[in-house]
Amino acid sequence: MDTTTSTVRELGRRLLTAGPATIVIATALLFGLSPLVAPGSLGSAPLLSMLPFAAVLAIAAAGQTLVVQQRGLDLSVPGMLALGAVLCTALPQQHGWPLALAVVAGVLGPAAAGLVTGVLVTRFGVIPLIATLGLNAVLLGVVFAVADGTPAGAAPALNQFALERTLGVPNTVLVAVVIVGVVGLVVGRSTSGRRLTAVGVSPRAAEVIGIRVGRYQLLAYVSAGACYGVAGVLLAGYTKTPPLFLGDSYLLPTVAAVVLGGTALTGGVASVVASGVAALFLTQLGQLLRALGWSDSRQLIAQAAVLLVVVLARVVVPLAVEVWRRRAVDRAVAVPA
Amino acid sequence: MTVREEPAPSPRTTPAPVSHALELRGIGKRFGVVTALADVDLTVACGEVHALVGENGAGKSTLMAIASGALAADQGRIVILGEELADASPDRARELGLAIVRQHPALLPDLTVAENMVLGVGFAASGVRGAVSWSREQLAPWGMEIDPRARVRDLPIEQWFVIEIAKALALRPKVLVLDEPTEHLSLDEVRLLFRRLREIVADGTAVVYISHRIPEVKEIADRITVLRDGRTRGVYDAATVSEDQVVELVVGRALETVFPPKGSVVGTVGSREQLVVEGLSGERFHDVSFSVRAGEVVGLAGVQGNGQAELLRAIAGLEPSRGTVFVDGRPVSRGSTAVARRAGVVHVPADRHEEGLFLPLSVADNVVAATLGRVSTAGLVRDRAVDARAEEQRAALGIKTPSVGTPVASLSGGNQQKVVMARTVLADPDVLLAEEPTQGVDAGARVDIYGILRSIADTGAAVVVLSSDGVELEGLCDRVLIVSRGHVVKELTGAEVTEEAIAHAALTATTVRARAESAPDRRSGWRRLAGGDHAPAAVLVGVMALLGLVVGAQNASYFSSFNVYNLLFMAAPLVLVGAAQHLVVLTGGIDLSVGPQMGLLVVVGSFWVVDGGNPAVGLLLMALTGLGIGLVNGVLVAVLGIDAVVATLAVFMALQGLYLTLREVPGGIVAEGLSTQVMARIGPLPVAILGAAVAALALEVALRRTRWGLALRATGSRREAAENIGVRTVRVQLGAYVLAGALTFAASVLLMAQIGIGDGRPGVGYTLSSITVVVLAGASVFGGRGSFVGVLAAGLLVQQLLSASPFLQLPQAWSYLLPGLVILAAAVLFGRLQHARKA
Repeated sequence: MDTTTSTVRELGRRLLTAGPATIVIATALLFGLSPLVAPGSLGSAPLLSMLPFAAVLAIAAAGQTLVVQQRGLDLSVPGMLALGAVLCTALPQQHGWPLALAVVAGVLGPAAAGLVTGVLVTRFGVIPLIATLGLNAVLLGVVFAVADGTPAGAAPALNQFALERTLGVPNTVLVAVVIVGVVGLVVGRSTSGRRLTAVGVSPRAAEVIGIRVGRYQLLAYVSAGACYGVAGVLLAGYTKTPPLFLGDSYLLPTVAAVVLGGTALTGGVASVVASGVAALFLTQLGQLLRALGWSDSRQLIAQAAVLLVVVLARVVVPLAVEVWRRRAVDRAVAVPA
Repeated sequence: MTVREEPAPSPRTTPAPVSHALELRGIGKRFGVVTALADVDLTVACGEVHALVGENGAGKSTLMAIASGALAADQGRIVILGEELADASPDRARELGLAIVRQHPALLPDLTVAENMVLGVGFAASGVRGAVSWSREQLAPWGMEIDPRARVRDLPIEQWFVIEIAKALALRPKVLVLDEPTEHLSLDEVRLLFRRLREIVADGTAVVYISHRIPEVKEIADRITVLRDGRTRGVYDAATVSEDQVVELVVGRALETVFPPKGSVVGTVGSREQLVVEGLSGERFHDVSFSVRAGEVVGLAGVQGNGQAELLRAIAGLEPSRGTVFVDGRPVSRGSTAVARRAGVVHVPADRHEEGLFLPLSVADNVVAATLGRVSTAGLVRDRAVDARAEEQRAALGIKTPSVGTPVASLSGGNQQKVVMARTVLADPDVLLAEEPTQGVDAGARVDIYGILRSIADTGAAVVVLSSDGVELEGLCDRVLIVSRGHVVKELTGAEVTEEAIAHAALTATTVRARAESAPDRRSGWRRLAGGDHAPAAVLVGVMALLGLVVGAQNASYFSSFNVYNLLFMAAPLVLVGAAQHLVVLTGGIDLSVGPQMGLLVVVGSFWVVDGGNPAVGLLLMALTGLGIGLVNGVLVAVLGIDAVVATLAVFMALQGLYLTLREVPGGIVAEGLSTQVMARIGPLPVAILGAAVAALALEVALRRTRWGLALRATGSRREAAENIGVRTVRVQLGAYVLAGALTFAASVLLMAQIGIGDGRPGVGYTLSSITVVVLAGASVFGGRGSFVGVLAAGLLVQQLLSASPFLQLPQAWSYLLPGLVILAAAVLFGRLQHARKA
């Protein structure tokens, strides 16, 4: 087998099966197709209305990626976002907190909740799925109690920040780029990130080489919580009067973004940046469907379908590649040397 | 172990035996581009023990997996007693008379010994009913007092092998395949095994015996087939070849000196005491003291299970212990690998796949994993430095890999162990603790690893080697400590370090009670109860009574017949949907979509089950939709192998979208006739809860007493093992999802009558509730265990909790807080209970 074809084949396999490159190409294709399918969908107005939501999703997806890397799946995303939002809106409005402090609380509150998940998982051996499912209900109760049952409005300054642009770029996008960039750099390139990866791949093997497994897992859950908090605060600022449970529609998209970004649900190697790009892809896809007149309920079906198609492809494509390879080998064997 | 320079004997031509028990002809098998077996022939006569020897990766286990129908060959024929095994089917092979004892016992840890045994023999001799007494008979000759009712997970590893062997013998096989059966057995048990083998061989059974232990092979085998690199390299009469000749045939070349010169001989052992252990005690070892000097290699030996492994792991910080450990004169605090590592202690674990390596990561990432600080600047890892380090080590240790970027999982056992050694060398150990460093490593790599261990000692490290291989200890160690029942009972030094002396010391120290320390399963009755499947149900009933009393004391109307009826009626859908979830969880899956599924069914029904509509059509459509959704979930999870959480989460969202599309706002008043029927009562009790209870009890009986129940639990317990013994796991799991769909249908009929209008939203909460019920019922969320009685109790309790808050006049936030707190508390509590079981 000569090297060029094998390189090309390897490249093709990588593109089809995993890796961040796939989602970047898919996103580029989607943006390329958008104007053809729905003329004007790439105008500045639709873009500017789409980007803040993509930004919020990208930040939340960064958090979900951290949890998935530790072999978990975070079902508390709705509660987390709602908690971030309610803290930064209801605390100033109903309890007279200064806005800056409330925003900090909006980030640290979910981070603290992440700590609770982390402790449940690492100290008490509760599986992440159950811990986050239960915690989600608890968080919704807390949100209800903090807001006293009625949604509060975001302070004007917060609202303004979320709507404004710096050098033509929405502030929400800038925040997302910074957060996804920093988290991505730490996870992908730093020594701590490598240890996070090691713990995600095999906690037992990580412990053997002297990594403090519990601490790294806690770090992952707390950081994830902080990401959700930032996302919740931004979303609250942007929507001005956020509904109490504004996070409900973000659970599936964060999971979809992680899967689309190529991070395996079995944990270990993860790409935060790819999850961020996938968030952009999903939001633009939603925008496009909306432009085509799809209702929100049908959008749910479309999102589910996209997620299923992608995970299916991840299962089926490697199988197909394997079969194809075997045939190729058979052919090679069949040819008399 | 040096091989004398003798010419290898030429393969003898055997006169064709009259009848072949097992015939493998021209077997070929490829994994991807790797050829595992090429044109392999093996003929085993009736009444002979035929040994199959070869290095790791030579293809022995693959060949036997093919012979037993667990794996399909690419080419070749398998004939068992004259009948051809056409398809790869473990069941068919078993019917033809072949039984196999696998290297990794195909046991299901969550099932009892008896259940494992009857399932393993395909219910050939006994159904589920007589399983216990039948199993007791089969196990009796081994004299280990294995309780057939004990859960396999709770038993020590050597008993797993005995069960596996007893299972195979119980089939009265005509062909018995044993794949490394003696790795974990004591000498006595090996004797017992050989006696049994001789008996069945005398009765005409053919035995295929795979082993690394050449002396054993020589003792038991009539003929020996050598396999190397996936090809047969000859068949020999066991009586005519020497042990050394067999080794040479296996390796394929003459071995030079295997072991490096000892430090105590060439004088590289220092005088400084690098590692000092004083009065160290742990769960399985007591008051152990010893020291190791710089440059010295000390062996730990003893009959397996006498605490030596725990001792080593305690020094490494992996197990809790009391006492003092000094490294280089400084005390090291106990119980943390991070602390031990900082003090200079490096550990090479025995279980390479679980503890030694990061399998999906590259060779390079594995090599630098413990020394990331040295390949990074300002906290950022420099990939080029990583690769350079890895290349250095690859060259120095001779690691055979296509590149340092290759995932370490794709390397052979020996090269994987060299990667672990490379990581160890880079970590510059002051103390090196190596646990079975050459287990599963081929002979070539073995020699290299001995060299590496010795060279690490030569740099001034104290090296402790734990090994069950006496030859290895003799060749490698300056001193050997014999551990028995958690104490160091003897020390051998200098010329005393011989295989015979080690074996003698280990055995004489333990002959009185060889397994004294390995029987921690004698727990009190309370512990056993707490760990049982029904313990949670008992706890739940207690909590329910308590809660009822507390709430009733606050508010007398709590015990009104109206309220009791309501509570019980509303608990019915919870029990049903909990049972649905439980079914799926038992097989190792999960179904997040049950909530929206109930919502969708209610909405579907609300178009027909209205006044003037056709309720029968409505109910039929609901049932079909429920089964259909179950089928979709089952296909996604069981057949296509998509992660259950992701698949059912996607279905969750899709169903939500679907019912919202069908009914954006609630509509369609449910026909009164149906509501009245559904809400019928017998005395104070709603018929619905009676029905749900009957369903739960029926499922419970089926789970314990039927083959289906066993298969269900087997699938969830250890899928791979279940498949190996012929359980059709895909079908079982698919069926569980479909049955769950049916139960969800029943629950949604109740829900529809309760809310009285076509609205999907009230259904969504049932996802959380159903999982709460399952967790409260004490099921292992990893599958394999739990009880439907628990589900019944948990369903009642959850409903009681949900409806308690109005009586207690709690604020509305509690309607969210309460279910969340309950599930978390249950998860923590029952997690503890199940841990108690393991301790």
